[in-house]
Amino acid sequence: MDALVLAAEWFIGLFKQGGDVFLSLVGGIVPLLIVLLTGVNALVALIGPEKIDKVGEWAARDGVIYYPVRYILLPVLAVFFLTNPMAYTMGRFLPEKYKPAFYDAAVSYVHPPLGIFPHINPGELFVWLGIATGIESLGLSVVPLAVWYLIVGLIVIFIRGIVTERITAVMWARREA
Amino acid sequence: MNEFLVKIGRGVGGVVGALYQAGRDAVDQVVVNILPFMAFISLIIGIILKTGVGDWIANLLAPLAGSLIGLLILSVIIALPVLSPLLGPGAVIAQIIGTLLGSTLIAHGDIPARYALPALFAINPQVGCDFIPVGLALGEAEPETVEVGVPAVLFSRLITGPVAVLIAFLFMPLLPYD
Repeated sequence: MDALVLAAEWFIGLFKQGGDVFLSLVGGIVPLLIVLLTGVNALVALIGPEKIDKVGEWAARDGVIYYPVRYILLPVLAVFFLTNPMAYTMGRFLPEKYKPAFYDAAVSYVHPPLGIFPHINPGELFVWLGIATGIESLGLSVVPLAVWYLIVGLIVIFIRGIVTERITAVMWARREA
Repeated sequence: MNEFLVKIGRGVGGVVGALYQAGRDAVDQVVVNILPFMAFISLIIGIILKTGVGDWIANLLAPLAGSLIGLLILSVIIALPVLSPLLGPGAVIAQIIGTLLGSTLIAHGDIPARYALPALFAINPQVGCDFIPVGLALGEAEPETVEVGVPAVLFSRLITGPVAVLIAFLFMPLLPYD
């Protein structure tokens, strides 16, 4: 009988521990998240997402100086205003040869800003939050990590865009040969 | 005068309406997307912490997550073109590995807190690899572009996955964690 009670206690304990984790997540993050999401949603609605269409037309041009527009500015604006997955519709302004690279850059930027702009991809928040809670439980601030995640992400999507554009060009040439 | 009042009334109504709708959307996002995932993650963390499986997984991951070479290896494995589309959906794998790293190795101080930055990139070189055809279709791409684009992105990740880890590693000393 004692063994049975012990086993039952252990079984409930599994979920009790999970409940404690859940409570700390809901109590610690959800209130901030709701207010933040409200603010950003309102901002996006008041500015109007269609304003970034012009940047899309601008990003379609050839030439080295348009690389940062195509693989930094456009993906950042697209994920901020349209969020995942509608951000990828901005690819429609680009010539076919740039579309895979733009998708690569945009999809790679749906996680790096999550520490500051969770509205971009709330369903995949734990890509960021999982590691961030570790930092928090050490008693450290997660803000520097959030900021550098966002900045390094910019460099990464720029490189990703250029590399994917090159690879696409090579594969396209091979296909036509 | 009347016209002016109507204009103001409309303007204020519009802003208040937008704010209210924004609040509704925010609560919707939290209830539909965030809370279910928190419940799921809490269950996993609870079981992992209570059963001691966490220590076992942490020991397994520690050599990978605690050094540059290890993180590079992790990113290359996840970026393999056969694996990356399978690991992509919903970013579930990245979220679980991230949570494991955060709640065990980083929280216990087994790896330096600074490693959180390169780790964020090392767990995520597969981002969107499951979604390339749909993403391109959303951008109104031709079928031919999709045929070339899918392998182009997948192969690109083999290069840019580890490159991202390397860049994050270089920026790591800028974090104010000791």
